[in-house]
Amino acid sequence: MSLGEDILTALTGYSSLQAVWDGFLSFTPSLFTAFARIVLPILAIWLLVRVARSLFAGKNEPEIWAWLILNGEVKLAVNHWENVIGRGSSCDILLNFPTVSRSHAALIRDAAGNWTLTDLAGKRSLLLNGQPVEGSVAAHYGDVISVGGVEATLCELSPEELRQQSKSRTKPGKLVSPVKTLLIICCFDILLATELALNSDRSLWPVIALCFAWLLLLMIFVYLLFRGMRRRGYEIETLAFFLSSLGLTIAASAGAHAMIKQTVALTLGLIGFLILGLLLRNLQWVKALRWPVAGAALLLLLLTFLFGETIYGAKNWLQIGSFSLQPSELVKVAFIFAGAATLDRLFAKRNLYSFILFAAAIVGALALMGDFGSASIFFVGFLIIAFLRSGDLATIALSCAGAGLAGLLALTVKPYIANRFEAWRHVWEYASTSGYQQTRTMVALASGGLLGVGAGNGWLYKVAAADTDLVFGMLSEELGLLIALSAAASLIIAALFAVKSAYNGRSSYYVIAACATGAILLFQMMLNVCGSLDLLPLTGVTFPFVSNGGSSMISSWMMLAFLKAADTRQNASFAIPLLKFGRRAVKKDE
Amino acid sequence: MNRVKGRTISLLILCGIFIVLLLLFLIDYEQNGAKWAAFPGNSHVYSDGILTVGTVLDRNGVVLATVEDGRRVYNEDKTVRKSTLHVVGDAAGNIGSSVQTFFADRLMGYSMINGVYSLHGTGDNVYLNIDSQLNVAAYQALDGRNGCVGIYDYTTGEILCLVSSASFDPANPPAVEEAADGVYINRFLSSTFTPGSIFKLVTLTAAIENIDDLFQRQFSCNGTLTVGDEQVTCSQKHGDLTIGQALSVSCNCVFGQLALELGADVLSRYATQLGLLDSFTVDGYPVAAGSITVDDQDPGQLAWSGIGQGQDLVNPCAMLRVMGAIANHGQAVSPHLISNSASFFGIPISLHLFSDQERLVSEATANTLSQMMRDNVLNYYGQDNFGDLAVCAKSGTAEVGDASPHAWFVGFVADEEHPLAFVVFVENGGGGSAVAGKITATVLRKACGQ
Repeated sequence: MSLGEDILTALTGYSSLQAVWDGFLSFTPSLFTAFARIVLPILAIWLLVRVARSLFAGKNEPEIWAWLILNGEVKLAVNHWENVIGRGSSCDILLNFPTVSRSHAALIRDAAGNWTLTDLAGKRSLLLNGQPVEGSVAAHYGDVISVGGVEATLCELSPEELRQQSKSRTKPGKLVSPVKTLLIICCFDILLATELALNSDRSLWPVIALCFAWLLLLMIFVYLLFRGMRRRGYEIETLAFFLSSLGLTIAASAGAHAMIKQTVALTLGLIGFLILGLLLRNLQWVKALRWPVAGAALLLLLLTFLFGETIYGAKNWLQIGSFSLQPSELVKVAFIFAGAATLDRLFAKRNLYSFILFAAAIVGALALMGDFGSASIFFVGFLIIAFLRSGDLATIALSCAGAGLAGLLALTVKPYIANRFEAWRHVWEYASTSGYQQTRTMVALASGGLLGVGAGNGWLYKVAAADTDLVFGMLSEELGLLIALSAAASLIIAALFAVKSAYNGRSSYYVIAACATGAILLFQMMLNVCGSLDLLPLTGVTFPFVSNGGSSMISSWMMLAFLKAADTRQNASFAIPLLKFGRRAVKKDE
Repeated sequence: MNRVKGRTISLLILCGIFIVLLLLFLIDYEQNGAKWAAFPGNSHVYSDGILTVGTVLDRNGVVLATVEDGRRVYNEDKTVRKSTLHVVGDAAGNIGSSVQTFFADRLMGYSMINGVYSLHGTGDNVYLNIDSQLNVAAYQALDGRNGCVGIYDYTTGEILCLVSSASFDPANPPAVEEAADGVYINRFLSSTFTPGSIFKLVTLTAAIENIDDLFQRQFSCNGTLTVGDEQVTCSQKHGDLTIGQALSVSCNCVFGQLALELGADVLSRYATQLGLLDSFTVDGYPVAAGSITVDDQDPGQLAWSGIGQGQDLVNPCAMLRVMGAIANHGQAVSPHLISNSASFFGIPISLHLFSDQERLVSEATANTLSQMMRDNVLNYYGQDNFGDLAVCAKSGTAEVGDASPHAWFVGFVADEEHPLAFVVFVENGGGGSAVAGKITATVLRKACGQ
């Protein structure tokens, strides 16, 4: 033994440098975990509070798209692209005169800035420049609209007014600095990745480092991209990135391959999100694409029905070469895209019927494939869209009754479906059979407490399908209930933002699409979380962004574009074009 | 747009439903989280269903069970192991009331904040109130007979001795099919037995508070009390006696008559008031509830009940609590098995800072009962057996069909230096004072260092 080794042994108790390093590694993970399990929940909650404050606490002044000047004196603001004029209290432009009908006319602007006037009363009492309006006619600035004898002139905003408006409306980021939020989420991810790596097999270290580094790059890229586009709203993306990083941790339990797959899916989802967001800027394109998208969705489901693979009892996988895909996930995006509608389409019942048929085809196809979880998600999405479109409780009640009957029929024809429900609310009596997954979820969750046992230290992942169906339990076990609840809160915040966006919505298309997105993400998460906790029957649907699964990750990201398209805060969203008042003003002056 | 805006309430409702479901879950978690974590499938703290964390120690720091190299090991002394089996528990979890089974969440150091996480990963130390050497003395005094011994400090609630027999060695457990009958049952906490004459204390309590001239009365016993078709008999003709003498000689005829005079309602009211008919908890573990079946329409049955026969069943721990109440001037201090659980660094996690008390009888009644029970020892059982300890007691010899009767000896030491209440029970052991009284004397002398 050399002198150097002797000294080393005397100092450290180890006989070689390698042994010192090994010794260091052997106690580092537990010390680091003790630190991270406290700091991670603090960062997560801090992050959510910042995002929620940024989304809800800031002022959200209405936009003004034109003026209606009554009798040359009273100036009424036109706050939306789609406005109902009438006497009824729910009208956007309220004309409280006895000669005006409750809903008298619709004044609608398209993405290009052209106005259309539609008669809703059918009494020949709507005139444009003295001419009775039948159906719809184009309206121009300076035109005089007479509603039941009340005359109003449609006036454009002056360039100065436009400039003033865009200057005075509150921009996101004023109250809560987005750079600081980005820093917090970066810290969260670095800490999470380090903890995960230390508690994982050393062979997994490069993959963990690579995937989390890529995630950080994507976050910074999105931030810089939006900055370059002069957009200042990152809250929704922050929530999605937060959930995605939790998803990467879940995927790590399934190995390096799953982590890389999930990272690729995340990247594809982000690209899909950006493309769909840019497409949603132009309502003309969207309207033109609604039918083709609906057709493509139905075709995709038909293909799955014919050629699909059966996994876990549901024939909902499509195998293309070595690449497998769950088409029902992509259909969700198409369903919202085709299901949302502009105001002009909401007046005719016929349009709602074709939507009901479309929804029934999708829900029916999924039920036939045995994918009842997805079927119920689409059904709830349908209920929300149908209600937002029609406000008609009778239609909703009828649909629910129909679905209930179909469900009963399915139970009588295929009694094995009922077996799935036998353990519901009694899982401890079926702890080693049909209640196995739920009881293990609760045991693992309780083991983690509020702070968790550390990323990579759990055992729940060993239970079948834990990385998709029991992720709430896995998050609670490893990262603690506080972070699991933060994950749930993220999507609640997103859904509440969809509701808020309705207040200053431009077109009902965007509002309906955003609310449908909120509803589908929320309900899907509710089925996943409550199913694993035995509050609802276990259906085996994914937790958006978190569950291990590429198709789900891509579709969840793409759906977020609908939320972005409804974010009408000044300079907030890349999915909303900035008004180019400067150039226009110059043209006018010439 | 305004209309669509109003309809977004549908999404708010969905959010509301989800939040309500989550809150329901959180309530469930708060209440049952410890139970979930203690599920034997939890591989953070179990291996093949055997708890791999936590150490059980007695009040003097003697290790009763701990973990070495991932295996559960017990005290090196076989008698210590056997005498503490029902408190410590077995690896397979067959003894439901034991620390390793019912209090597993304490051994794993479960808390709602940390779950079962700990930096060192070895669980917690659970300190018991029992003294393992006292347990050994009681176990040896039982001498292989089935039964139980319970002793607790009636001023603090600490259970100093808890032995249940039959027992086995947890280090070498028998196969379940080969185990002796009832070996997994903690007779002290989880069973009920026919009380026999110790139940006369219940009838006496009711009589003291409901019969005004009880102490002026002259009772008489001719050896038999005929009630309808039933005949309640004494072992001998007691002749004329006072109530005090009737208790000392345990006269069935007198107490049968008192039960009839009090009526079914009063008798069951007092049995309830003394806590004999409802379950209560020892550190959260529910003890078995006793029962009596009495009806004014069936006076024979009522007379039998008044002397602790018939359908009467009591739990030894509940009886111990009654003794504690009488000794403590009517206030029963709840018995506690666990002193505290301490984490690895020796920081106590839970202590019973405030003893929980419940008044079972009035102070005056309790003091009267004490005096009469003291007279029992002085005049009947013999003070010699107990050295100079001021023991107050009542024996019971409970007839159980053709088998040998159950022997009971219950009471307390009326001494501020040694505030101990006790219950000794020997299944089919024979005469109460002769058999159970003798065990009591041995264990009490040991407990008081005599």
